[in-house]
Order: sequence, then C-alpha cells, then structure tokens
Amino acid sequence: MSNQRRKPFQIEAFKHKVVLDPKYADKTWMILEHAIHEIYNHNASGLSFEELYRNAYNMVLHKYGEKLYSGLVTTMTSHLKEISKSVESAQGDAFLEELNRKWAEHNKALQMIRDILMYMDRTFVPSTHKIPVYDLGLNLWRDNVIHASSIQTRLLNTLLDLIQKERTGEVINRGLMRNIIKMLMDLGSSVYQEDFERSFLDVSANFYRVESQQFIECCDCGDYLKKAERRLNEEIERVSHYLDVKSEVKITKVVEKEMIANHMPRLVHMENSGLVNMLLDDKYEDLGRMYNLFRRVDNGLITVRDVMTSHIRETGKQLVTDPERVKDPVEFVQRLLDEKDKYDKIISLAFNNDKTFQNALNSSFEYFINLNARSPEFISLFVDDKLRKGLKGVSEEDVEVVLDKVMMLFRYLQEKDVFEKYYKQHLAKRLLSGKTVSDDAERSLIVKLKTECGYQFTSKLEGMFTDMKTSQDTIQGFYANHGAELGEGPTLVVQVLTTGSWPTQPSIPCNLPAELSLLCEKFRSYYLGTHTGRRLSWQTNMGTADIKATFSKGQKHELNVSTFQMCVLMLFNNTDRLSYREIEQATEIPAPELKRCLQSLACVKGKNVLRKEPMSKDIGENDDFLFNDKFSSKFYKVKIGTVVAQKESEPEKQETRQRVEEDRKPQIEAAVVRIMKSRKVLDHNNIIAEVTKQLQSRFLPNPVEIKKRIESLIEREFLERDGVDRKLYRYLA
Amino acid sequence: MEKEETVKLISSDGFEFIIDRKAAMVSQFLRNMLTSPGGFAETENGIVRFPEISTTILEKICQYFYWSRQYASGKETEFHIEPELTLELMMAANYLHT
Repeated sequence: MSNQRRKPFQIEAFKHKVVLDPKYADKTWMILEHAIHEIYNHNASGLSFEELYRNAYNMVLHKYGEKLYSGLVTTMTSHLKEISKSVESAQGDAFLEELNRKWAEHNKALQMIRDILMYMDRTFVPSTHKIPVYDLGLNLWRDNVIHASSIQTRLLNTLLDLIQKERTGEVINRGLMRNIIKMLMDLGSSVYQEDFERSFLDVSANFYRVESQQFIECCDCGDYLKKAERRLNEEIERVSHYLDVKSEVKITKVVEKEMIANHMPRLVHMENSGLVNMLLDDKYEDLGRMYNLFRRVDNGLITVRDVMTSHIRETGKQLVTDPERVKDPVEFVQRLLDEKDKYDKIISLAFNNDKTFQNALNSSFEYFINLNARSPEFISLFVDDKLRKGLKGVSEEDVEVVLDKVMMLFRYLQEKDVFEKYYKQHLAKRLLSGKTVSDDAERSLIVKLKTECGYQFTSKLEGMFTDMKTSQDTIQGFYANHGAELGEGPTLVVQVLTTGSWPTQPSIPCNLPAELSLLCEKFRSYYLGTHTGRRLSWQTNMGTADIKATFSKGQKHELNVSTFQMCVLMLFNNTDRLSYREIEQATEIPAPELKRCLQSLACVKGKNVLRKEPMSKDIGENDDFLFNDKFSSKFYKVKIGTVVAQKESEPEKQETRQRVEEDRKPQIEAAVVRIMKSRKVLDHNNIIAEVTKQLQSRFLPNPVEIKKRIESLIEREFLERDGVDRKLYRYLA
Repeated sequence: MEKEETVKLISSDGFEFIIDRKAAMVSQFLRNMLTSPGGFAETENGIVRFPEISTTILEKICQYFYWSRQYASGKETEFHIEPELTLELMMAANYLHT
C-alpha cells in the first residue's frame, strides 16, 4: 500500500519463536492436495478460494514453500499420468478428441491452481528461481502426456495422416486440428517445431516430390503450373487455418522447391506447352502464373527471362534475315512493331511490367534489329510509307502512336546516322513531290528525333523544312513582280534548296521546252536579283509537272508526270511520231534516265499515253514512239509514275554505305580530338572506349576505323605517340 | 457467466461490505478469484469471507480500493492512514496483493 506517512517506526523481531503445530504443514498441504484433486475432478464449486489461498499463503509465509512446490509437482504429475493413460486408451478418431478435451481441462485446472497458489508464484518462485506454476503445469503436461512414449509418435502420425487426407481431398475437422496444434505451440515453439513441424515439412516434401513427378509426366506445362499454384494456395490456406503463421514461409518453400525449383528447366522447355509455346500463343494467364510461381524461386525469373530472350532473339533473327521479308520493307517494319507490341503486352499483362523483363526485351530487339544492316533504311521507308499515304484518315493521336513506336525501333538502332541519311533522302522526295500527308506529323517526328539525338541530328532536316517555306515565299514574290508579263504561260513552282541540307544528287541536265526555259531564266534573274552572290542550278531530275493533254474524241486529261517525262511529252505537241534517237537528241536526257522515263510512258498498262513500235517490254535504241490517240482513263487526273526504285538497289546501297562511312570519318576524328584536348595523354584502348561512348547515340564506330583516324591525326600532327610507351598518345596543341 | 456488479466482503467479526466489482478488482487476489475459470465457491456467489481481517482494516481496504481507482484516473489526493493501523494494513495488503 502506498502513501503511508513516514514516522520513526520500527518493527521488532519476534522475541519468541512462533511455535507451530508440527503437523501444521502436513495438515495444510492435505487440504491443498485435496483441493487440487477436486479441481481436476470438476468439484471446485465446493471450495473456498479464500481459504485455499490463505492456506497456501500461510505455508509460504511459514517457510513451507518448498514442500508446497514439490507437493504440487507430485500431485500434478500423478494426475497427468492418469490423463495420459486415458488418452492412450482412446481408439481411432477419439484419440485426438480425448487429447483435446483433456488438454482443455488441464488448462482450466492449471489456471485455478495458479490462482490459489498465486502467493507462492509471487514470492517463493522468484526467490528460489523455480519455474512459475503455469509454466510448470505446461512442462509437466508436455513431459507426461505429449512426450509419453505411447502418445508422442501416435500424435504425430495422426496429425500427419489428417493432413495427408486433407491433401487428397477429404474433409477433416480443422477446429480440432487447430486446437491440437495450438496446444503444441502453447507448450513452446520448440515443442511445435520438433514434435510436429519438422516431420510435417519432411512428409510434405516427400508428398510433393512424388506428386510433382506424376504431374510432370502427364500434364502439359500450363496444367502443371495450375496444379502447383493450387497446391501452394492450399498450403497457405492450411497454415492460416490451423498452423503456426511462422510455418507459412517454410511450407511454401518446400512446395516451391519440390514443385517448381526442381522441375524448372523441364517446365520451361516442355515440348508443345513450355514457355516458348506460351509466348507464341499469347497465353497471358499461363505466363502470368509462371511468372508468379517462378518468382518465388531462386533463379526462377532468370530462367524465364533467359528463355524468353533467346526465343525473341531467335525469332527476331529469323525475321530480319528472312530474304522474303527483306523484299517488303514496310511489312518488315510492321512485323517488328507487331512483335514488339506482342511482347510489350505479355510483359504488362503477365510479367507484372517487370523492369528486368523490359530490359531483356529491349536488348533482344537491339540485338536482332542490328543483325540486318538494312534495318535503318527499312525503318525510314516505313516512316516514308506512313507519311505518304498510311496516315490518311487516322486521328492525330493514332499518328503519334505510330510515330512513337517507330521511335522505339529507332532507339534500338546502332547505326543511327545511316537512318538519318535515308531519312533525309526519303524526306527530300516527300517534300519535293509534295507527297507529305501531314506537315504536323512530319514535324512531330523531327521533334522526337531531336529529343532523342540532339539538335545536330535534325538541324539539316529542319533546314529542309525552312527551304520549303522560303521557296513558297520566293515564288509568291516572283509572281507578284512578273505575274503580269507572264500572262497565260505555264506556271512555275521552284523550290530553292540549300546545298548541304539536302541529300546531294548529281544534277542531270536536260533541255527544257522553250516556254519553260524562258520562264526559268526569268526566275533565275529575279532570284539572283534579290539574293546576290548565290548560284542556282536546276535539279530537273527531282521535279514534277502537271500537263493537260487532249486525246481522241476530245477526251481531256491532266497528266501528272516528272520533269523528264514532261520534256518528252512536250515534243509530241508538234508531231505524232518520234524515234528514240530523236527524243534523245532533243532532250539530252542521259540514256538510263530516258529509258526509264519512256518505259513508264509507253509500257505501263492504263498509263500508256505513248505507243511504242515494236511493242515490247523494254526500250530499245531503235524503237519508235507514237502519240497514243486512243488513250483513255476513268480519271481526269492521271498520275504517271516513273519506274522508281523505292528500295535501294544493290549498287545504290553500296554507295549509300560508302557515303555513310565517309561521313563518319570526320565525326570520329572530331571525337578523338575533343577527347584528347581534355585528356592531353591517353592510351589507345581508352581512346577507343571513349570515342565509342561519345558516338554511341549516332552509330557504333569500328575500332579499326578509329585506329585509322588516329593515325591520320598523327600524320596531320594533331597527336603524337609517346616516345617511351608506344601505346600512349599525346595531344599537340 | 453473468457477473453481478457488486461483491460482498465479510470481515472476521461478521461485518459485510458490499462494493463494486470494479473496485474489488484493484486487488490482484480478488481479481483472480473473481475471474477464475473453474467456479470456486466465491466466484459463484460473489461473497468472500476474510477470517483473518478485522472490520476496521477491511473498511480501510475498501476505502483504498475506491481511492486507488480515482487516483489512477488522475485525481491525485492523499490517502490518509492512521499510524496504529499501518502494520495490520500492510499485512493485509500483502495478502491481498494490492
């Protein structure tokens, strides 16, 4: 009791020894022992708590604690031995029931005993370092009942049997299981672990080892995974129903190991249903299941990822190297995009958007796209195709989606400069022939390229757009000044292209019709009048013309042709028949170009505004050409395309390649100089590494080429080799 | 198990004190007794006899029970104990585990 007032106050020791009845202790103990019996026999209502407590209190107070404690041990032990016998004698299913009931009784009795012996627990037990009454009761229960030789193994087997039954689909008394397991847990985690959990895990491992072997023999991968998943969930559920939560990790580990880890390679590579087939058939559910199960196992995801990667690489490699595919660049790129979409979808639906899988996907694409040296060209052609015609009637968002996808492929390219080269060519054609569907889409793509590769990459492309715009203004200005004097003549539209920004093409001269050359001269003098010091040269090979022609029965058509074709057709204004030689002489178009041009005018069905004699597919130097009076077409406007090689022919390809290589040289040199300028001294391998790093965003430089460039720089005295260490280079300021 | 709201404490000389269950729970002894799972006589009737505690002391103890609950709920007042009761009171406190 607290708050007592302080006062000089002394308790005197008893002067005389308190004489007790020598039988006192025995008598008191008899009372308590009797009480304990009564408690075990459910007769407590006749007992007075106060009296028992007082007796125990007094015994402890009079230093009979030891007697009380040991008496308790003996009495309780004898009771537990009886209990043990009765549990033992229970047959079959009754065994667990009996055990459970007796445990509940013992527990209750133990609490009551603890309550009446509370004073002993409070004073005697701590001072003599004995086990408190309640724990003592549990220990005695453990030693006398659970560890009784006839009960221990029987209990374990019964429990394991029940679990086995439940695994094979029978319904068992989960409540009873829970109580018994709870009892083992109450007796201490070591009891639970040693008397149950360890064997449980062993038996489970055996069970699943056998079962997984059976499953894998008769099921396909998807079914197997379904079964494994179900088993795993069952075990987790089992733990939540009647096992210690700490067992969850252990038992799931067992299932994972036996059902998944041990069979991983076999599952992944299973014929006709393994991972590859799942990927092929877009089995999102199965893939998701595989991902979730394999994630639990060490190396599981790595296995899945590796197989996926090699599969993508394999199929991708086939795709890019298939000679059939290479014939149609648009289809080729579309296939790549489809492939990418497919795996993106798989990763997002089944693989939880796992970053490592995305990276694997990206690296696989990067790997196989670059296997085909023409990939940059094809991607550019794909864009060309889309921007020429593919995007009509498609909403702006969809355009963006397509462009973004293309950019994604672009990112995989190692030779981005090659792409740039082709893109420039294709863009030039698009711009000059006025074939762009959407200016916005064009610009949007340029912006994307710019964010991807920087200003340098797109500056020329942007220059091309600027040229187009200024040309428009120039032509307007030209007609504003000279419109009146030009009157009814043909209309001229000139695009003034800045050299350097546009892909250079050799200018092929030709004789323009008189009306036109006059007009061109006027424009030239107008242009040079406003911009002094410039030079204009006509790129007739890149132009187009719209001409009106009247055929028999007064049928009129507007023909959309190239400049060369226009020159040829204009000749037929004065005559109906011309020989090849005559045409060649009049126009001075180089032979290959002229042949192509005549072929498209005379040999294409439905567009043959000329007739050729003799009729044949190819143009011979002795052929004659006649105006085809009988030409007819459903359309008023007729577009006569030149037989253009859309995809590059082999020599053209070589040429582009060479140009690319040429362009790379100064870039490599610039990179070397930049690096050496800041480092002053550097060894060969490091230079190579640094240069590769710097140029990576544009292309992957060849080390041999870098070496050549370094040598060239040494020759020109930008660098020198170190006198002692020949591998070291010095920068010469 | 229905619990009555009060318990009756009877001193050695027969005086009966009826106090709230909650107040009685201040004593660990009474708490155990009243909440014990196996029905002891006291648990069933709610009557506890103390053959070794006098009326004076038991009264003081009951007072203490109420005071203690107030003290625990934040009302800090002094609990007055007459010096001559101190020893007996301490023994009773030890007994009741209060």
